[in-house]
Amino acid sequence: MSFLSKLGNIDYRWLYITSLILTAIPLFVPIGLTVTLSEPVKDYYAVIQDLPEGSVIAVSFGGSAALLDEQEAQFLATWKTIFSLGHKVLFYSTTEDGPMILTNHLGDKVKPEDYGYTYGVDYVELGFSPLGEPGQASFATDIRGVYQVDRRGTPLDDLPMMDNFNNWEGIDLLIYQYTSCTDIEFAVRQWTVPYQTEVIATTLGCCGPMAAPYYPSQIAGFLSGSGAGTELEVLSGNPGPGAAMSDSKSIGILPQLIFIAFGNIAYFAKMYSKEEER
Amino acid sequence: MAGIMELLGMALGTFLIFSTLSMLYKDNPFFRVGQMAVLGSSIAHFILLNMQTVYNNAWTPLIGGDILMVIPLVLGLLMYSRLKKSTAWLARYPSSVLIGIGTGVMVAGTVSGQVLDQIAVTITDVLNGGGINSMIIAVGVVTSITFFVFTKEHTGVVGSSAKIGRKFLMISLGANWSGELVWYLTQLVGRLMYVKNFLTALMGG
Repeated sequence: MSFLSKLGNIDYRWLYITSLILTAIPLFVPIGLTVTLSEPVKDYYAVIQDLPEGSVIAVSFGGSAALLDEQEAQFLATWKTIFSLGHKVLFYSTTEDGPMILTNHLGDKVKPEDYGYTYGVDYVELGFSPLGEPGQASFATDIRGVYQVDRRGTPLDDLPMMDNFNNWEGIDLLIYQYTSCTDIEFAVRQWTVPYQTEVIATTLGCCGPMAAPYYPSQIAGFLSGSGAGTELEVLSGNPGPGAAMSDSKSIGILPQLIFIAFGNIAYFAKMYSKEEER
Repeated sequence: MAGIMELLGMALGTFLIFSTLSMLYKDNPFFRVGQMAVLGSSIAHFILLNMQTVYNNAWTPLIGGDILMVIPLVLGLLMYSRLKKSTAWLARYPSSVLIGIGTGVMVAGTVSGQVLDQIAVTITDVLNGGGINSMIIAVGVVTSITFFVFTKEHTGVVGSSAKIGRKFLMISLGANWSGELVWYLTQLVGRLMYVKNFLTALMGG
């Protein structure tokens, strides 16, 4: 077997084991690689910062437990930023996992009460509803039509924050958090186009390229993947899980890049030698 | 210091992580146990939460006098008619309602937000001196669309444009794939951090 054939046929398990080792090392011995800030993240942060104190932010929460490692840094840094600025928040979950994640976050990791918040006055959690695009449209026009009660079973009319507030007109900013790549279109079609509501978004790294065309004309800023979460942590001065992950990802990706390069060299060299034989 | 119940929970989590990762070597009983445990608990959680949603948003208002709530409840129940072959046709009614509403809601926003606004931004960025990036985007948009023109043979100007468009599409798919790769790596890092936290807690850290 020639060197090139061997190169193209390396057992893929070598890739897994080298990735695993290199990814694990920085977790025990942090390297402290620098984090570069990108424009969509800077804009995401600036939009929240520029809101007047006491503005109402609606959070369409589409987090998934299975994908949480990719987005938790984004979520936690966002909650800390919002709460430290004193904005009112209306959480509504669009995934079944959403309420469970929010319970863990707001009940343990970033408690709104630690920032002087009171439930029902400064923030409300509406719970899960299988919204989809028609649901987003309904929510924007008639919140009580979608949610009769909040997650704790309290009628919305009994919550001071919900006084005289039942649609898009009471919302100053929508933070649209999603994990299904094309869902960004729901926000554009149901919030930006009809009401010109300011929208910022957070999503997975693989969904970033599908959100990019809408930035900055229709989406004012967005976070894509845990890397953007790390950037927001740095920008807002709220260190969290993203900072701890950053080194591991940067080092752990190396064997994969090397294997991709080897695979391509072997492929093109084989193709070239076959053409020469002809 | 973590309590005994917390430690047990973390030990179970660590076991499930390694069970799942063991698939990278080959299929084995530990992987299947981990897979079934995750699937089972997820399905149970989803069913309970959806039942709670139906109870809060439809059943409670119905018994409170909102008679119109009977419509979504009946439509929802009709979805289960497909479990029996002879009644499966009834499930077409809720499906058609869902598709009809979904399409109706989507159309207006699509034309304005995803076609007209996107074209406008692409053009105005170039005209307003958006620099080399806006030029690249404009060329990418035009040539990539040409690639999907099937009513004219891809020769001459159309053929050249389609070839360039193909390159843009490949770059775009590459960017998507790199995002996937980093995402998988993040999941691995997250799980390794969990294992590290477990080991630290086990040693009394």
